[in-house]
Amino acid sequence: MDRTTSASMEMRSEGLGTTPSEHPAFAGRIELPYKLTTGRAASVFLAELASRRIVGSRCPSCARVLVPAQDFCAECGTAAEELVVVASAGSLSGFTETAAGVLGLIRLDGASTDLVHRILDAGLADLQVGQRVAARWAEEAQGSVLDIVGFAADDAPAASEEVRPLSDPSDPVIEQPYRLRLDYQHAYGPYYGRLFDEIATSRRIQGVRCPRCECVLVPPREYCDTCFVRTAEWVDVADTGVIKAFSIIHLEFVGQVREPPYIYAEIVLDGAATRLIHTVGGIEVEEAMERLHPGTAVRAVWKDGEPVGTLEDIVYFEPVFDD
Amino acid sequence: MRDVAIVGTGQTKHARRRTDVSQAGLVREAVDAALEDACLTFADIDSVVVASGPALFGAVNQPEKWLVDALGGHMKPVVRITSGGGTGLAGALAAMNQVSSGFVERVLVVAYDKLSEGALQYQISTLYDPFWGREFAVGIMGFAAAYWRARIDALGHTEEAAALVSVKNHRNAMRNPYAHVKKEVTVEDVLASRPLAWPIKLLDVPPISDGACAVILASEDAVPSITSTPAWIRGMAYYGEADNAANRFMLQSVPLQLAAQRVYKRAGIVNPRRQFDVAELQEPYTNFELSYYEGLGLCRSGEAADLIASGATEMEGDIPCNPSGGCMGANPIGATALIRLAEAALQVTDKAGERQVPGARTALVQAGGGWANLRGVAVVGADRN
Repeated sequence: MDRTTSASMEMRSEGLGTTPSEHPAFAGRIELPYKLTTGRAASVFLAELASRRIVGSRCPSCARVLVPAQDFCAECGTAAEELVVVASAGSLSGFTETAAGVLGLIRLDGASTDLVHRILDAGLADLQVGQRVAARWAEEAQGSVLDIVGFAADDAPAASEEVRPLSDPSDPVIEQPYRLRLDYQHAYGPYYGRLFDEIATSRRIQGVRCPRCECVLVPPREYCDTCFVRTAEWVDVADTGVIKAFSIIHLEFVGQVREPPYIYAEIVLDGAATRLIHTVGGIEVEEAMERLHPGTAVRAVWKDGEPVGTLEDIVYFEPVFDD
Repeated sequence: MRDVAIVGTGQTKHARRRTDVSQAGLVREAVDAALEDACLTFADIDSVVVASGPALFGAVNQPEKWLVDALGGHMKPVVRITSGGGTGLAGALAAMNQVSSGFVERVLVVAYDKLSEGALQYQISTLYDPFWGREFAVGIMGFAAAYWRARIDALGHTEEAAALVSVKNHRNAMRNPYAHVKKEVTVEDVLASRPLAWPIKLLDVPPISDGACAVILASEDAVPSITSTPAWIRGMAYYGEADNAANRFMLQSVPLQLAAQRVYKRAGIVNPRRQFDVAELQEPYTNFELSYYEGLGLCRSGEAADLIASGATEMEGDIPCNPSGGCMGANPIGATALIRLAEAALQVTDKAGERQVPGARTALVQAGGGWANLRGVAVVGADRN
């Protein structure tokens, strides 16, 4: 559980390199749903893949053909409104191997730009710049760039008529569902490490004192934010305090951890000069609207069982009324 | 240091969701409008500043790289500035400094967000420290509501006073062709609206919007060949404070006061209520507008409720605030502060159409982001300092 082992915080280095820390880290995840708007040109490009046509856009100013179709010309910034169909075969401008397999830059016949896609059935040794490749299509179209499975070596010569006008365009694919999942391993560092170790081992909340303003900062930190001097002394603060501000949450939203209604609160623990963000519980919402105020005393209600060393070890703060 | 003026502005058709344009298409719409307004082309632009909110809003990291094509940025300086709700003004500040320093003559600054793409409150909650509070975060709304509740006790910023801000800004938005929320509301409607993070209720909250704004800044040397009606930036500043410093004062924004002091000194403003003809304030919730009245010196601390009740900040009052309707008409977060600046420029050049404050020559602009810990102020005028 020890997140700090302050004796072992020395930098380990071997020459110019460093080795990764073996201290435990805090696993954080951000997972977000999106509906991305494809825009005019891309919406048609995606839709036309179902008809096994690759759509580009032609810049009216410099006549370059942009593939996949783009709304604006990279070279001159002009709106490239004319959509055209380019060949689904071309030549390889460059290639590399990644964890996802071999990727290539493909200059389709008629295009002025390279398309990035997978290269199928070939290793780096089988490929050379300039060689002919052709699209391999998915059995079933999904309205995604992966409707082209990839490009494979192909002997077919370049088409004589490289670019055709786009006729009878399909209904555009105007939205793409997308999910972003980001996993992090946040390093505790010595200050958060000791704070959460103390919470986990003894339900004790600790801060650091600034030697100049003498304020106690929780969470602890290396420098005082206002005096810009290094903090020095570790001190215990209470698990009681006062509400600095609170609001009553009725809103529901994606990613919410608690079920509304609940009370969001910023609390100043006795002995500290900074804010702790948590919730107030043990009181009905209607009563809270009447009886809670900035300055109302609260105390931590700790979770039963073994603490894990996060703020979630406190279930909530409950108000302490004089009467 | 050279004087800098706004010589063109443009806004998109803002909407709850624009499915007809990608993020690139959205910014281009605002840029085309600004270029047309200034009678300039991409060839006249020396440098581009992109301003947008957290990258998680649009799921595209480093969007300025992606937008270079749409912004005519090929082979030009292109940078991105981000600073929460104050992003647009922070971008304008960077652009202004590029011009005033002599680095370039004409800069395009474009600010945008396409908020309909994702899950806004969760995205904003990721601004919290992952160790310290993120699991309890409710975007910025829980926080904003909590300190409004504290100001109700300490400064008398009542729910009724905030409701008057909602009524005023909704009414003003009716005259703004760029606003997409066009609905008159009453104090009773606001007070009876659904609580989201009490005391914040549905009608205290601006919409979630897709939108962009573009502004072209030019040096005093370049202005005469572009326009005879520039809007001079007479001062601009942006200050921050440590979010969880000891004894942080949450009732008034100290960085707002610092920014105002600095800008007022440069622009010779000693009596803001009398010297400003109009103000554009970036109010993410109604209660913030009350707080800004005090922080900007339009009234004394604790008098904001009286100020809104007096009608002074209405269109017919002596210091109309948010003739555009503010964020209540449209709220594409990264763009909102630049929209405030653009609206101020329209006011002092007599181009604000139905929302024009007659004879306005000096305008106040305010913007803010982060945990209410980043605050910007600008003064825009028909005249130079």
